[in-house]
Amino acid sequence: MDTLRVRLSGRRDARRSGAAMLGCSLAGAVLLVCAPPLRAQQPAAASKPPPSARAQEPFDPTGYWVSLITQNWQYRMVVPGRGEYADIPMNAQAKKTADAWRSAADIAAGKQCEAYGAAALMRNPERLHVSWQDDQTLRVDIDEGMQTRLLHFKAAASGTPPAASLQGYSRAHWILDTTVNTFGASLPGAVGHPPYGSLRVDTNDLLPGLLRKNGVPYGADTTMSEYWDLRTLSPTQQWLTVSTKVEDPEYLFEPYVYDSIFQKEPDGSKWDPSPCSLTS
Amino acid sequence: MKNHSLVLATLGCSAGLMYAAAAPAQVDLSGQWVLESTQDAVKYDEGPLTDMFAGIPLNAQGQQAGITYPGDEGQELNRQCQPWPTHYLLMGPWGGRFAAVRDDQGQLVAWSLSSPAYDRLPITIWMDGRPAPSPLSLHTFGGFNRGRWEGSTLVVSTSMLKDAYLERNGLPSSNRETDTFFFTRHGDEMTLMAVIKDPVYLQTPWVLARTLKLLSEGSVVNDPILYCMPAEVLAGFTDGYHSAIELPPREAQQAAFMLKRYDLPPMATLGGARTMYPEFAKQLDRVYRIPTAYCSLYCTADGHLLPQGPRQIQSR
Repeated sequence: MDTLRVRLSGRRDARRSGAAMLGCSLAGAVLLVCAPPLRAQQPAAASKPPPSARAQEPFDPTGYWVSLITQNWQYRMVVPGRGEYADIPMNAQAKKTADAWRSAADIAAGKQCEAYGAAALMRNPERLHVSWQDDQTLRVDIDEGMQTRLLHFKAAASGTPPAASLQGYSRAHWILDTTVNTFGASLPGAVGHPPYGSLRVDTNDLLPGLLRKNGVPYGADTTMSEYWDLRTLSPTQQWLTVSTKVEDPEYLFEPYVYDSIFQKEPDGSKWDPSPCSLTS
Repeated sequence: MKNHSLVLATLGCSAGLMYAAAAPAQVDLSGQWVLESTQDAVKYDEGPLTDMFAGIPLNAQGQQAGITYPGDEGQELNRQCQPWPTHYLLMGPWGGRFAAVRDDQGQLVAWSLSSPAYDRLPITIWMDGRPAPSPLSLHTFGGFNRGRWEGSTLVVSTSMLKDAYLERNGLPSSNRETDTFFFTRHGDEMTLMAVIKDPVYLQTPWVLARTLKLLSEGSVVNDPILYCMPAEVLAGFTDGYHSAIELPPREAQQAAFMLKRYDLPPMATLGGARTMYPEFAKQLDRVYRIPTAYCSLYCTADGHLLPQGPRQIQSR
């Protein structure tokens, strides 16, 4: 701030002839100097609660979305045969487990939903219904397998770790585009509602499950990270890409990375809930 | 006086902040980006399966062109060095190197996106808002590419492409194809999505996505292809079924081939827009049976592709 005062005091003689013009012309130069003090002066504002995740959303993820199966078709649209493990970086232990796996045994044990865990869920042919459960929680319902994912923008109050589950526990936050510039440096926060950004989701506390319906496993230590991005060509041409990285020290020798595409639908008329299945 | 300085400072800061909010958030994309997605690794590496077009919204003309593709066409001398058009960014095993092209004032004029392989030519993505050339101008494999920022996403519109291939198994693309690419950088990763439109061969847009990873400075790309390969023959094309003199197969013959090779009916393997949607999986349930024989084609146990010949040899 001292630097700013020195610069401004050096121009006092010109203030009567064009103070406003001077302010404007200095705007760009002053920006980098004054931004940190402005941030430092914010304690008064800090008493206000931060905006909710819903209020901050850089794009509207809500509504109905249908998956487009344009990649990896033969492993997603139909149940592949035994040994069809292409495209998954599975290790020898995973191959041994998958080779020994039989769907009949798991069906008899009522474990049909093991292929609908978070690590593989977004790969299935399905529809999503995305809605805000509350201002800090995004709810993603999936018709195929009738699963629900909850994306928590605010950590649970309790210090107790959540129990492991099929969909695990997902922490989410928005990445607002106004925080970067050409060279990756921080810019001051934008005024008003930021128009662009991504959603980052990190998931753990997963129960073991299947990456593919022919028995390719993932273990209890699996973690998953996702980037959700909205792509728009026109109001009726919108897609959501969900780029997923699955890491599993037990069964994968490197991260399993895949990209799922969802196309926006005008309504829920094609919503078709159906139970989990290991044979279709 | 003190108050006046404060007013000036406030004015300046406000203007600056407004400028920051209005300015497009450009991101530095420079560097060598390589493929990180493992999905479709077989397709990227060994090539797509013969006559397998499921999930591609082909129209009838595209389907016919696909199934009559002579598998040894790639060996013809005039095709041995034929480059791929820009959509190969989504289908090839390569990423690319982004390099900023700046004018003498340091302003970004374009991004150059080159490939470590000879078969996709460098692409120039113009960022200076220049108008598109006349539709009668020369069409190239690199096309005419205009970029703009939507937040930190680089959106690239591509046109003026040459007739080429959509896929390595012979699906064609026309010189009326237009593409839109979305590059979104997430730290050292980048999500790339493309919307491919071709009124000649596609019913609806074909949408694809993949994740790229930034190589650290000084790293080298594995196995760059810097020279022209004498031929490209996919595994399935050596079965005697496809040859340069093969006439379009009869419907029954084609159906038998599909069932032998993929356990799938032609309604699936011929592609079309409906094959992209979940309801098509339910239609298939009535006719598809999970193969009982252990995989013998493009099975991978440890991340390495192990093509062992067409499945038909062992499973049928």
